[in-house]
Amino acid sequence: MDLKQFEADNSGSFRLASRIPDVCRTEDCCLGVDEAGRGPVLDSGPMVYGICFCPVSKKEELKDLKVADSKTLNEAERENLFQKLDEAQSYVGWALQILSPNMISTSMLQRTKYNLNALSHDTAIGLIQYALDSGVQLKEVYVDTVGPAEKYEEKLSQRFPGIQVTVRPKADSLFPVVSAASICAKVARDRVVKGWNFAEDLGEMDADYGSGYPNDPKTKEWLLKYLDPVFGYPQFVRFSWSTAQTLMDSKAVPVHWFEDKRDKLSFAAQRQNNRSMLSYFSASAEGDRAQQTHRFFSERRLKSLKSL
Amino acid sequence: MSCNASVTCLHLSSLKGAEKAPVHLMPCEIEHTGHAQVSQYFTATTKENKKDKTVSFRGRGLKGQEISCPQGHTGLVLKEVDRHGSDQEDRKVKVTSVFDKLTYWNLETPPTSDDIVVMAMDWPELAEAIHGTIED
Repeated sequence: MDLKQFEADNSGSFRLASRIPDVCRTEDCCLGVDEAGRGPVLDSGPMVYGICFCPVSKKEELKDLKVADSKTLNEAERENLFQKLDEAQSYVGWALQILSPNMISTSMLQRTKYNLNALSHDTAIGLIQYALDSGVQLKEVYVDTVGPAEKYEEKLSQRFPGIQVTVRPKADSLFPVVSAASICAKVARDRVVKGWNFAEDLGEMDADYGSGYPNDPKTKEWLLKYLDPVFGYPQFVRFSWSTAQTLMDSKAVPVHWFEDKRDKLSFAAQRQNNRSMLSYFSASAEGDRAQQTHRFFSERRLKSLKSL
Repeated sequence: MSCNASVTCLHLSSLKGAEKAPVHLMPCEIEHTGHAQVSQYFTATTKENKKDKTVSFRGRGLKGQEISCPQGHTGLVLKEVDRHGSDQEDRKVKVTSVFDKLTYWNLETPPTSDDIVVMAMDWPELAEAIHGTIED
């Protein structure tokens, strides 16, 4: 798993994939989708989506790799299992989409809000499409979900006609391909968090931020220590998460985005424009008096400056 | 600059020692006046692209571009010199730095020539055309 490119520029979204096993192009395959680093408790580091696929005929062999019990594993055990998957590369393929915390923040906080579910679904769809585009003969897809399963299953079934789609909560404990995808995603996330290159020039930064979960005292301590009153946090932190927002609300300086002001302005202007019909019949020049500044200046927010 | 009774004075001597500084016009109001770790957080993470620059501030994506001050104009960063007594209406400012170009940032939308600050730079040339002396 070569993460060097992402480590060099960790502000966007990045795809990484294994070689496609030849058998996957000729035999019917099953594919599992899972993610790491998403849950409502996480507020730092990347979110990683993973897919793992193999021929349907090899389902039992995949099961024998013991990838099934991934939930209670620690980092070292996960690495071990990933090694096993890597060794099975003659029939197992995988692909990952790494979403940087910066990308998550900016997508979720943008004006046309892009919520996490939509972001997650689109990422999963992108990866499944990648497998298809690479020639994988997909017949079965299994997906783990946090949101409503039926709706998601319907959405994916419509998007990928001819493929049997199964969406279940805790799918990683039900289907070995999903469990394998979960391992790939978690291992990638572990490695990215470990090797995170802070683009910010913050000198000797304490790299021990714990797990990234806000209920981890190490993480809490780190978040408090590295709160800058103006900038808030480095891009490692997801600003869209309530933990970060709450800390900034209480300890950072307030910031007001002009989008809100502008909306208020246009609303007030609208009310002004909705004059009664009767006002057009009166001879009063009140309306004219208000219009003293030429539009050229108001359009450009140019004002005669009389005092500071 | 004067209106009614109060006068604001600019200490021109401060112009001599003033150095050029990079200036950013943000699409937000930051309730803070004073030092900030701009180079460490902002400049260090700014990306220079073909058509614009991108950076995030508090998790929001910004897109910006550099523009120059109008011909014959210099940008000044002013700082108010102590107000000894609040009954004094006159105010004093000095120049802390100068700039001949600045980077302005839009919230998410790509910078274009329709942006207000770009259009505002039209004024000096237009003013000259309207009010300037005409040589016979």
